Amino acid sequence: MNAYFRKMKGTTQSPPRVNMSEIVWSWLGAFLGIGFIAFVNANIFEKIDLLMIIGSFGASAVLIYGAIKSPLAQPRNLIGGHILSAVVGVASYQLFHAHLWFASAVAVATAIAVMHATKTLHPPGGATALIAVIGGEKIHNLGYFYALMPAGGGALIMLVIALLVNNVPKTRKYPEFWI
Amino acid sequence: MAPENTPSGNKLFMVPADISDSDIFAAMKDIPGYLDITPGDLKEVFRFAYKHAVERISGAVKARDIMTAEVYTVRKNTDLKEVAGLMADRRISGVPVLAEDKTVIGIISEKDFLSRMGAQDGIHVMSLIAECMKGKGCLAAPIRQKTAGDIMTSPAVTVTEDMPLFRIMELFAETGINRVPVVDRANLLKGIVSRADIIRAPLLRGGTGPAS
Repeated sequence: MNAYFRKMKGTTQSPPRVNMSEIVWSWLGAFLGIGFIAFVNANIFEKIDLLMIIGSFGASAVLIYGAIKSPLAQPRNLIGGHILSAVVGVASYQLFHAHLWFASAVAVATAIAVMHATKTLHPPGGATALIAVIGGEKIHNLGYFYALMPAGGGALIMLVIALLVNNVPKTRKYPEFWI
Repeated sequence: MAPENTPSGNKLFMVPADISDSDIFAAMKDIPGYLDITPGDLKEVFRFAYKHAVERISGAVKARDIMTAEVYTVRKNTDLKEVAGLMADRRISGVPVLAEDKTVIGIISEKDFLSRMGAQDGIHVMSLIAECMKGKGCLAAPIRQKTAGDIMTSPAVTVTEDMPLFRIMELFAETGINRVPVVDRANLLKGIVSRADIIRAPLLRGGTGPAS
C-alpha cells in the first residue's frame, strides 16, 4: 500500500526548457497552420455549410509545430489518428445518440484503443472522436463525411504547412518517419 | 549439463557506464527541440540499450573461440594418485572425467580433493593446512585407494561450443566453478574454458586471439 502511494510522488525531473528559436518557430508554425485552415473555413467552407476546422486541431498544432520530434506528432499519427477517431466518434454517435454521455465515453475510449492498435496514437484524436458526439447539429449532419472533412482534410493541410515550416531552420527537421 | 537453462539478465551486465541524471538532462539540452520524454524514461532506455549492446558485443565471442582444445582427462577408474599427479605435473586445477565412450561424465577439481581430505568450512586450502599443523598426519589417507569415479562431481556442468562468452561468465559467477568442459551435441569433449581463458579472451571477434 505504501508502495502504491509512493508512486504518486514521481521519480524524475521535468525536461529542460527549449531555447528561444524553438519557441519562435513553434509559434510561427502554429500561426500559419491554424491561420490557413481558419481563414479557408471562415471565407469558403462556412458559405457552403461545410467545416474545415475543429477544436482538436488546436491540440494537433501543439504537437506538429511545438513537439515535432514526438512520435505522437508524426504524419502517420496525425492523419491516421484524426481519421480513425472521427470514424469511431461518428459510429458511437449514430449507435448511442439516445444517451450522449454513453456515446461520448465509448467514442473517446474506443478511439484511444483503435489508435493504439494501429500505431496511430495522436492525443487530439480523442477530441476529434468526442466532437463527433457533442459537436452539435452541424457536425452530426456531416455523418461519416466528418472523417474526410474536416478531420482528414484539415489535418492534411496542417501537415503540409508543418512540412514547409518545420524544415526551414537548420536545427529542426520533420518528420521523423512517415509510416 | 543444461547451459540453455542458465538464468538470463544477470546483474553483471545491468550496470551501464556511470551515467547520471544530470548527464541525461545535459544530453537532452544538447538536442535542439522539444523531446517528448522525461529524463527518467530516457535513462531507462539508455540502460536497456547499453545492456543489449554488451550482450551483442560479448555474444559475438563463443566458447569455441576462447577454449583450450587440448584437454587433459582421466577415466572413471583412474587412481586418484594418478589424477593428483597429473594435476600437479600439468599445473591444472581440474580435469574432466570421461566414460569408455569418451563422453564427459564428471569433473574433478581441487575442491573435490580438499573436501574429502577433511578440509573444514568446505574447501579452503588454508583450512587443510591448519588441520595438517595440528599433526594429524597425511590427510589424503582416506582417499588413497580411491579412483576418479569416487570423488568426481557428476554430472559435470558443461557448455556447447556456440555458448556466448557472456553466458559463460554468468555461469561462472552463479555457480562458483572455475572451469567448464566444452562438449558437442553427443556430449563428446571438445575443449575446456577456464577463468584464465576468459581473461585472455578478446572482447570482440576479430580482435587479437587468445594467447595460446
